[in-house]
Amino acid sequence: MSALLTQSEADLRDAAALAVELAAQRGAKARASVHHEGIAKIAVRGGAVETAERSGTQGLGLTVFHDGRLGSASTARFDRAAIERVVEEAMLIASHVQPDADADLPPAQLLAFSGPAPDLYVESPRSPDGLLEAAQVMDAIASETVAADNRLRAGESVAVATEGLWALATSDGFCRSIQRSNDARWSVMLAQDEGGSNSAFCQTQERSVDALLPAAVLVERAAGRARQALGARPIASRRCPVLFDPRTAAILVSELAGALTGNAQYRKMSFLPDPIGRAVAAPHLDLSENPFEPLGLASGGFDSEGIAGSNRAIIRHGVVEGLFLSTFSGRKLGMSTTGNADGFYNLRLTSSAPSGDWQTMLDMLGTGLVVTEFQGGKTDPASGNWTQAIKGLWVEHGCVVHAVTDVTLASNLPAMLIGIRAVGLDVERQGAIRTGSILIDDMQLGGKG
Amino acid sequence: MNGGGTAIDRARARLLGPAGLDEAMIGRALGHLASGGADLADLFFETTSLRSWRLEGGRVTNGGFAMRQGVGARAAHGGQVSFAHSADFRESALDDTVRAVRSLARAGQADQHPQGILLNCHAGEHALYPAIDVVLVEDASAWIAVLERIDSLARASDPRIVRIDANVRVQDTTVLIADADGLLAGDVRPMTILAVMIVAETDGRRARGQAGLGRRAGLDGFDAASVDQLVAAAVTMALNNLDAISAPVGEMPVVLGPGYPGVLFHEAVGHGLEGDHHRKRLSAFDGMLGERIAAPGVTVIDDGGIAGRLGSLGIDDEGTPPDRTVLVDDGVLTGLMQDRLNARLMNARSTGNGRRQSYAHLPMPRMTNTFLANGRDNPADIIASIDRGIYATEFDGGQVDIVTGRFNFTTIEAWLVEKGKLVAPVRGATLIGVGREALRHVSMVGNDLAFDTGMATCGKQGQTLNVGVGQPTLRIDRMMVGGQAG
Repeated sequence: MSALLTQSEADLRDAAALAVELAAQRGAKARASVHHEGIAKIAVRGGAVETAERSGTQGLGLTVFHDGRLGSASTARFDRAAIERVVEEAMLIASHVQPDADADLPPAQLLAFSGPAPDLYVESPRSPDGLLEAAQVMDAIASETVAADNRLRAGESVAVATEGLWALATSDGFCRSIQRSNDARWSVMLAQDEGGSNSAFCQTQERSVDALLPAAVLVERAAGRARQALGARPIASRRCPVLFDPRTAAILVSELAGALTGNAQYRKMSFLPDPIGRAVAAPHLDLSENPFEPLGLASGGFDSEGIAGSNRAIIRHGVVEGLFLSTFSGRKLGMSTTGNADGFYNLRLTSSAPSGDWQTMLDMLGTGLVVTEFQGGKTDPASGNWTQAIKGLWVEHGCVVHAVTDVTLASNLPAMLIGIRAVGLDVERQGAIRTGSILIDDMQLGGKG
Repeated sequence: MNGGGTAIDRARARLLGPAGLDEAMIGRALGHLASGGADLADLFFETTSLRSWRLEGGRVTNGGFAMRQGVGARAAHGGQVSFAHSADFRESALDDTVRAVRSLARAGQADQHPQGILLNCHAGEHALYPAIDVVLVEDASAWIAVLERIDSLARASDPRIVRIDANVRVQDTTVLIADADGLLAGDVRPMTILAVMIVAETDGRRARGQAGLGRRAGLDGFDAASVDQLVAAAVTMALNNLDAISAPVGEMPVVLGPGYPGVLFHEAVGHGLEGDHHRKRLSAFDGMLGERIAAPGVTVIDDGGIAGRLGSLGIDDEGTPPDRTVLVDDGVLTGLMQDRLNARLMNARSTGNGRRQSYAHLPMPRMTNTFLANGRDNPADIIASIDRGIYATEFDGGQVDIVTGRFNFTTIEAWLVEKGKLVAPVRGATLIGVGREALRHVSMVGNDLAFDTGMATCGKQGQTLNVGVGQPTLRIDRMMVGGQAG
């Protein structure tokens, strides 16, 4: 067993199965989901440890289905008394709520009793000592970087290791468990000149230590981002083309995917209503989903209902082919579950339009705004109205002229999706999403005057 | 509602008894935790239970219950903090957790407290909120009836209302804090939050309205009148937004309405005055104590001792009673908010601002109820003073960058003002600026101080807490407004 974990997969399966069995004794169908994570985290700054943390988290969640009614309850304890209490509370809720014909377990034949489960766990050194060493290495490189540039100050260097277990059991005899791992490192850098100061960070996250970005790359990227933001100034309001770097582009993709979830659709809280078969994005765009990518950060063999997802096109040539549905949201929409009760798996945005690497994308932008960070704003899910305060770069003839701050971008997401001209080959992975930079031809930029 | 007994009695009964712990065992664990020369060592025990009901599509078809408990153990050597937590705090598990902290701290030296630490119990009585339970089985039907009433009221109010979501979350949290100085303190923190979200639709246009009420009370804290008011506020907001025009773009004067817009000071000023940001020299206000940072007439206060507010605490999460800290006094920066760790490292005292999301999180300096004090201007005169600008009454959240002091807020209820009159509602205006500049441009402060309705939350380093925010109507002469209008 891992050094970070105090329970085994069998312990978790037993707890889940017990919860389902106790619910059955009270005449209810049930689904129980049990998780346990062990986490170690070390933060170092200026040669000294700032925080060293060890944590163990765990939880058991139970949903009961009784007389067409549903009730949910959860606990952080796995002993029999706690599980009995959870069953009682879930039954109590089911006895008070109104029935909903769509709230039931999925048909048993849809369950992924067997089938492919992608690897989500890699053995890696995850002891606090190992993390301390990793954080110290980053901190030492940060100190060297700072010594070579008096505009820079080192923030914290952090190393985190997580190992987790998850088990799912249902009244239909489904009982499977998985093990997963996650390693992360990040570096924070501050930059200051006569015009002011700013901070930037760079993070790497993988399922194994070996796959992480090297410490030197991480620190240099954080330093580069902090330097790049120096001398930022506002610009006048105007309409201009906008290039979203891969990190901000991934957030746009997640807004698009969010509008295609079953919950957003059946609640009519989506800016893309009734989207199947409809062109919602530029015709050169494809969005595909892959649940089974080995060691993918959003991979999984089945969702929290026990249903497997599939390798599929969500958007092809700008036209929506699929939604992200659970059994419940699927029934509300008169459709079948797609195995997405927990949201989307690994997504990839691609384009058949001409594009290239980062410099090519800057050349294609010509004169306009590069968005490097969303500082805050809102999307109205019902209308798609979208506003963001942004940090970025002003570019003329493909060359960065100066950093930009105190400006806002405002538009409407459906119009933005149709207006995408190109997706760069500078692909990065941000959690579940892979995309290159996204170029949109014409947006309203709010600045001074 | 269950009451009776002091907070500390209830905390001991609820947390120690079921785990088979007594004060001697806690004292021994603390002795181990503090050995090796720790400057600060504490144990934070917590149990929370929570019940929720949700109305959607005219019916309550969903509810939830959750219970969590655990202990967080912390030891600090200088600025180095070692921390571990566990959902299990029976004696052997508590010992394991303490051992994990000692191992992280590399505290190998001999035990300096072989007999354990003798604990002194602080009664910790206060009148800010009652030590009662509000997660009560017998209230289930009544809460469902409240949600159904919200639905029928909203539905009947206007044919353009097409969707009503409402939910209630009732929560009991009990905490017990023991530290190596011998403190043993407890608190019982009831909380109920009732929220409604409404969608209105006409001619293919859709708009949202939302409102909520958060109280340190149970069912009896939510009478029919307060529920009616809640529904009316959400309906009015949705209908106004249906007719909203694109927000203008550019720099212009902004009037902020009373109550929740005080979140601007929470973000733009408050976060920059948290002790940890100063100790690490990260704050945009670093080194400015005693300097004028705002226009005269601007006084900003953090007060964790205002009865009934969700930002108030009988004791903070390190056992310190709440303080009233004047952060900005008539425009001059006068105070910082401190927890024990940062106060000690900065030669200051804790101001009762040591807060944490749960036992599984480290405490840090956090705001309680942060507000701008009353001024002298008549609110109507403030709006009348605007030639062309924005009047914002509700925000949909906001952020600040601590290092630069840059903040942004997106309105969910705002109007375009021309020649002193409200011309039309505007949608999704984003207000952006830098804290110190916004402070200098405050030119009128109203006399109508109000607080938020109990829905304000604050995020910092991944931890979310309930806070209070407030302000009177005020005018900021120059602020950047971003919208869709060209």
